[in-house]
Amino acid sequence: MPSADVVVIGAGLAGLTAAIAAAESGARVHVLAKGHAATHWGPGGIDVAGIPAASTPRDGIHRLAGQPGHPYAFLGDDVGAALDWIRSHLAAGGVEYVGDLDTPHRLVPTSIGGTRRAAILPAGQAAALPPWAAGERLVICGIAGFKDFWPDAIAASLSRERIWEGGNRPASVTPVSVALPGLAARHNLNALELAHRFDDPAWRATAIEALARAIASVPGSGGRVALPAVLGIREHAAVLAALQQRLPAAPFEMPLVPPSVPGMRLYAALRAALIRAGGRVQVGEMIQRVEHDGRRVTAVVSAAAARTYTVRTGALVIATGGIAGGGLVAELHGRLREPLLGLPVEAPPADEWLSVDAFDPAGHPLEKAGIRTDAELRPVAADGASPFDNVRVAGSQLAGQRSVRDRCGDGVALTSGWRAARSLTAVPAGHTAESGSERP
Amino acid sequence: MGESRARDVLVVGGGATGAGVLRDLARRGLRTLLVERGDYGTGTTGRYHGLLHSGGRYVARDALAARECIAENRILRRIAPASIEDTGGYFVATPDDPDDYVDAFQAACSAADVDCEEIPVGEAFRREPALNPGIRRVFKLPDGSVEPWQLIESNVADARAHGSDAWSYQRLVGLQRDGGRIVAATLRDERSGSLKRITPRFVVSCTGAWAGQVAALANVTVTMHAGKGTMLIYNQRMTDTVISRCHTPSDGDCMVPVHTVAILGTTEQRVEDPDGYEITRDEVAALVREGKKLFPNLGTMRLLRAYAGVRPLYQPPAEVTAAALKDGRMISRAHAVLDHAAMDGVENFVTIVGGKLTTFRRMAEDTVDMVCAKLGVTERCTTADEILPNQVPGKTYWLGHRLADHEAEGGGDAGLLCECEFVTRPMLDDFLDRHPGCSLDDARRGTRLGMGPCQGGFCTFRAAGVVAERAGHAGAADVAELADRAILGFLRERFKGTRPIAAGRQLQEQWMISGIYEGGLGVESLIERETPEASREVAGAQR
Amino acid sequence: MAELIADASAEAVGYSSDECLKCNVCLTVCPVARVTDLFPGPKYVGPQAQRFRTGRAQPVQVPGIPFAPSGDVTVDYCSGCGLCTSACPAGVKIAEMNSQSRARMKAGKRPKLRDWGLGQTDLVGRVGVLFAPISNWALANRPIRAIIETTVGIHREAPFPKFGRRTLQSTWKRRQKRRGTVAVPGPDRAVVYFHGCSANYYEQHVADAAIEILKRNGFETIIPEQVCCGLPLISNGIYTEARQRAHKNLDVLAPYARQGYRIIGTSTSCTHTIKAEYREMLDIHADDATLVANATWDICEFLLDLNERGTLDTRFGRLDEDLPYHAPCQLRSHGIGLPAMELFALVPGLRAVDLDHDCCGIAGTYGMKKEKYPIGMAVGAPLFEKIKASGAPEAACDSETCRWQIEKATGTRTRHPIEILLAAYRAGDAAGGTKRGPLAGTGT
Repeated sequence: MPSADVVVIGAGLAGLTAAIAAAESGARVHVLAKGHAATHWGPGGIDVAGIPAASTPRDGIHRLAGQPGHPYAFLGDDVGAALDWIRSHLAAGGVEYVGDLDTPHRLVPTSIGGTRRAAILPAGQAAALPPWAAGERLVICGIAGFKDFWPDAIAASLSRERIWEGGNRPASVTPVSVALPGLAARHNLNALELAHRFDDPAWRATAIEALARAIASVPGSGGRVALPAVLGIREHAAVLAALQQRLPAAPFEMPLVPPSVPGMRLYAALRAALIRAGGRVQVGEMIQRVEHDGRRVTAVVSAAAARTYTVRTGALVIATGGIAGGGLVAELHGRLREPLLGLPVEAPPADEWLSVDAFDPAGHPLEKAGIRTDAELRPVAADGASPFDNVRVAGSQLAGQRSVRDRCGDGVALTSGWRAARSLTAVPAGHTAESGSERP
Repeated sequence: MGESRARDVLVVGGGATGAGVLRDLARRGLRTLLVERGDYGTGTTGRYHGLLHSGGRYVARDALAARECIAENRILRRIAPASIEDTGGYFVATPDDPDDYVDAFQAACSAADVDCEEIPVGEAFRREPALNPGIRRVFKLPDGSVEPWQLIESNVADARAHGSDAWSYQRLVGLQRDGGRIVAATLRDERSGSLKRITPRFVVSCTGAWAGQVAALANVTVTMHAGKGTMLIYNQRMTDTVISRCHTPSDGDCMVPVHTVAILGTTEQRVEDPDGYEITRDEVAALVREGKKLFPNLGTMRLLRAYAGVRPLYQPPAEVTAAALKDGRMISRAHAVLDHAAMDGVENFVTIVGGKLTTFRRMAEDTVDMVCAKLGVTERCTTADEILPNQVPGKTYWLGHRLADHEAEGGGDAGLLCECEFVTRPMLDDFLDRHPGCSLDDARRGTRLGMGPCQGGFCTFRAAGVVAERAGHAGAADVAELADRAILGFLRERFKGTRPIAAGRQLQEQWMISGIYEGGLGVESLIERETPEASREVAGAQR
Repeated sequence: MAELIADASAEAVGYSSDECLKCNVCLTVCPVARVTDLFPGPKYVGPQAQRFRTGRAQPVQVPGIPFAPSGDVTVDYCSGCGLCTSACPAGVKIAEMNSQSRARMKAGKRPKLRDWGLGQTDLVGRVGVLFAPISNWALANRPIRAIIETTVGIHREAPFPKFGRRTLQSTWKRRQKRRGTVAVPGPDRAVVYFHGCSANYYEQHVADAAIEILKRNGFETIIPEQVCCGLPLISNGIYTEARQRAHKNLDVLAPYARQGYRIIGTSTSCTHTIKAEYREMLDIHADDATLVANATWDICEFLLDLNERGTLDTRFGRLDEDLPYHAPCQLRSHGIGLPAMELFALVPGLRAVDLDHDCCGIAGTYGMKKEKYPIGMAVGAPLFEKIKASGAPEAACDSETCRWQIEKATGTRTRHPIEILLAAYRAGDAAGGTKRGPLAGTGT
């Protein structure tokens, strides 16, 4: 059976950052994942600490670190280093991010006509960040026949002062819808299809012409234009450059419902970075059990056709994504369990999991549930003792954070992944993995 | 106030019973107006199990009710086939069901004229392999599942074709009495707040659990209790046949395939307020335990949501004797037509209470017979004779038709607003055209928008986009507010059904969807927490 | 509560639609949806449409109970590559569900001649071998291919291999006759070979390589009578006939499995069919089905296992070459990683590169069909580009139909990984001077 120094379960932001960091320090790393979850659902990052009180991400980290039990209490100081490290990898994979921990949080418009707090965004979304100049217009440009983006509704909503919390906002928000070539007769039209088309230079050119004409027909000049997040997958940089060059307003993408094209770009860049570092990713592995010998995990067993597939390992990182990722399973009678190792789960009692109001301003108590760890990301029980020596937990699996509501999920994921790997692989610099055949 | 309008009859309540009464009155030549405080079928009718009874459930205890059920079952199959799925039904003897009941079952069915055929257990298992392998006997009966909103719409359409009318979102807020007669009724438009006064010759209350509240407007006492019944919706039809336990009816003993889902029911619990009640996790767990007696693997199946309806339980006044109940004022123990002339001295007011969806037409017939007798109208009831509008004779509902229709036009996701339930843009536009000013929840009932596994996660904002686009073209000033209400109200309503069953895959679904809406879509920014509309929306979603 | 039913069974496949989160991740990996508007994607035809199918609890036809009418049309464009099932985070068995839905869609109708014909691999093979080389000439003849396309619906450009001069079975029987009666070694010194149609009728050299490699590692080969695994019938929705094939094979293989023999295959499609699809698609619940599945191994999987036990003969010589490798989708479904790549790593000088492309487009018999051929070629186009751009003299792939597709589209000779390993063994022999027998200690 194959063996690894580190097995990471979960191929999201936390899992892949842990894997890249471990592989870089010379460990043989296998990432095993059942499938893709948050990466392919979310807006493409990177949310560090977007809480209303925080002027910048750094300020937000500091505030969240002060909340009892928040992972930033022991991760906060490393976020900067981890962020710098991962963004260089992502840039090598063609995904550039704009902004850093000291960039002020601003409200950026969303594809349902709302706003969300952000400071660090992928280049394709970044034009939404700078303050709006006096008289500056925003055009919402939709694609005819595309049902995940409704410019009329978006523009009507964004025209309201309260959506921008009474602060800086565009002087006007105007919708326009464009028929792009070859789409009218299609039976299938979704974000993926559009992104693939934008990758094709010939189609892209005619499409951009159509977009430019439509935007030019909107009263006013300059300003910015919001487009749905479909601007290419592999050729995103070229698409963005062409749009910036040709359109009469500065373009930015607005993330949509899944499949998230920005998320897929992020995933592709992370995966490429891992492969460059000599690691391996296997998707489609449904983990059946984790074997351990006393306090040491020894192997990970996944379901294969007519048998199991076992990877022996020296260490394990659990980055399985919390409730949304399937890493924490809720049972009807009210127990929240961690299915791989039965790690102790910190959670409120079942009748307190969810508030009555779906949009309770205080959130739902269940949001903070997860695995409690020490500062080295070792899972611990209520008494502080860790059941395993060679296990680390990373990402939204961690207790004490409201990863969505407080917009800290990405920051926690990449920092905990980075830290978990460093905690496991104190391997001297200069040692490299023996290179054999390249493989995913 | 708006001008008054002379009508023969005012029918209050737009559930199945009210719609049936409206149709029957219209066909007998009476100019009738039906008013409903919300959208049609949002009371008990819209929150019931979906079952077209064969009567098998009642044969042992209440042969009369059973006879009514089977008679109406046959009639409805003839007059409303498109609203009925001919699933057939099995009454199954599980290890928990005592022999004496089971042994007497077939004879009891015969005695009540309910078709009942015992089939080999092996055949039942071949058709429905998810059934409890411990089942020892199986009886086949003509149960089915019924789609209530289409039924109501058909009745209303037929009534309109006969010169009557129905208004939704009109709440009855006052009945003016002059001695022993009701002389006027005041209606409030729930959307605009404006008031209207009308002067019918007769008033019929078909308001079920709310009949007491309505009667009180005329200073008449009708004591109603609300009997909450909770039901669980499963994502998949683990059975295509209605399955009932062959035993004295109790909680959680019936699974009904309804459209794309299967519904397990039900419970019985008195609640104070028919508009405000909670479903607890314990109730849900208890239902699942009972359901496992029919389907042992039920615990592994995806529970989509829980909901409850209130049964209208009538408590007759102490002075009315059992004999009087049987004497013309009560047609059967299953439903009662209350003659307020005899009981309360109000000569032009009757209330129909009790009953079940399956017998709505019969309830309506009994009610309208009484009204016509009092108005001196001699026309006979013809509602059983003619097939309802928009129905093809003999062609019952087929689950696959939405898929087949869409695939026949090339399939694909481009035209689907709600992918889970194959709801297209034209379907939603059509509904919105016919129901101006409705909420997305109303559209859900009419189209099945948001009733699939993602519980509105993907279709909510698309539907809101359609609403906004239409409102914009119509020159509405509050396009954004309409879209807000559409998104927030709909998501709240869906959440309400998820909360009691929050576990497993559905909790994961909820977490994914809220992660998307609260994350990249920034839904929190749409919420305006201090306005009256916002509070009404929250209040509305609690119903 | 929402745990996936872990057994392989057709019923579990149907119920797995309960796990769907509607997240669209499956759509992001579907190679067919990527290239054609005719296919709405795995989520749509899989768990989404599943809710509109009655008789879900009976995924394959039960005698005496007619199939409910089907509303499906577009599910026919699913190629069965299985990438959706792998990528789904919740465990929906999408590709398997699609196969069942296709079968139900076609049930009760007479199968198209084309679909039936593509499933008659034994018949076509025997006739083709009998009339080789004329049969080969005919299938290479453009006018004849045009007629076949018009009448039967197999695209004139669809890659088709050449029939051998005799079947592997007849070669084997001849060989056995010459050897006379020899005691069959026990399961620690022999394996059963499930050769599949390709090694039987078209690629006997793959069988030869397998037999020799097994021998070098201490295993005699037993080749019992066998019929097509049935996958082409399954893929075309002709389940009743597929079940006949399955039962025939199980009757032959089960006695060996009971005695502890492993069943080795050189076609990742055949071995996947036996490992999983007899139970998950064809709903065969007999104990034999599980027994035989558990005993079945892909040959690279088997050799890698020997290596992990330390009993693989690793005396590979040096092969100084860049070798592009394509992992077939039917290998990914096994869930065993990429054993060929691991074996290549043992060969000095061999620079094998996983081309990391999702699907070559042939998807069994899918890409041969007139209406699907362009889709298959579009799906495989990036892979073909990579191979041509590499300039490598040969490529490797574990699945026979993929090899034919790649060779036709790129002009690059494409071999089974064990052919590469055999070349490495021979290079090792040459370097060592003599052909050596198995290492002491091998054969367990």
